[in-house]
Amino acid sequence: MTLSILYFGMIAEATGQPLETWTSLDALTVGDLKNDILKKYPVLRDRKFQVAVNQQILDDAFPIPPSAEVALLPPFAGG
Amino acid sequence: MSHTPKKVFVEGPISPQFVADSIAKHQSKTSIGAHNIFLGQIRADEKEGGQVTGIEYTAYPEMAESVFHQIREAAFGKFELTCMHIYHSLGVVPTGEISLFVFVSSPHRRATFEALEFIVEEIKAKVPIFGKELIGEKGEFAWKENR
Repeated sequence: MTLSILYFGMIAEATGQPLETWTSLDALTVGDLKNDILKKYPVLRDRKFQVAVNQQILDDAFPIPPSAEVALLPPFAGG
Repeated sequence: MSHTPKKVFVEGPISPQFVADSIAKHQSKTSIGAHNIFLGQIRADEKEGGQVTGIEYTAYPEMAESVFHQIREAAFGKFELTCMHIYHSLGVVPTGEISLFVFVSSPHRRATFEALEFIVEEIKAKVPIFGKELIGEKGEFAWKENR
C-alpha cells in the first residue's frame, strides 16, 4: 500500500518535511504506522500527536485503507 | 438543515473594520434581535527568551474547513440562530491583534450566549490549527497548545 503522510506544526519541524509518500508491503493499522514512523523519526517519541486518516482522527486499532491520506497532528492551537 | 461550507481562513490579522462591516451587513436582517461576538486577541505572554510578539498560524486546511462546517451544522442544530460567521487567521498575527472572530445572531439573546461559548470551545478543541508563538527579537519560538 502507498500512503501520503502529511506533517504539521512541530511534527513537520521534527521530520524536516511537510509530506512524504510511504510504501508498505503489509496492511497497516494506525498503531502499526505510528510505530514505523517513530522508528524512522525517533525524535517524535517525545512529541504529542494524533493521527487523522482521510481527515478523521482515529485510534491505533483502526486499519488504514489503501492510498489513504494520513496526517500527524500536533496539539491544536486555534483561537 | 444544511448550509454550504463557508470560507473561514483569512491571511493575517482580522481588522476591527472587518468586524464593523460584518455587523453593518446585518441591518437588513430584521428578524434578528440579538448579536453576540467573540474576538480572540494575541497576548504578549512572558516566556523564557522574551515576550511573545505574535503567533504564526498554520492549519491542515481541508480537514479544518470540514471540521468548521461540522461545528456550524451542530450549532445551527442546537441553538435558534439566524446566522453565524466564523473567521480565523492564518500566517502571522502580531500581539494585540485579532486572530478569531465568531459572530452569531438570533431573534433572542440567550441562544447567542450559549451558541457562542459552544462554537468557541469546539473550535479550540477540534480544529487542526497550529500556532507558533514568536518570542523576542532573536527568532526564538515555542509551539502553542490549547488547554
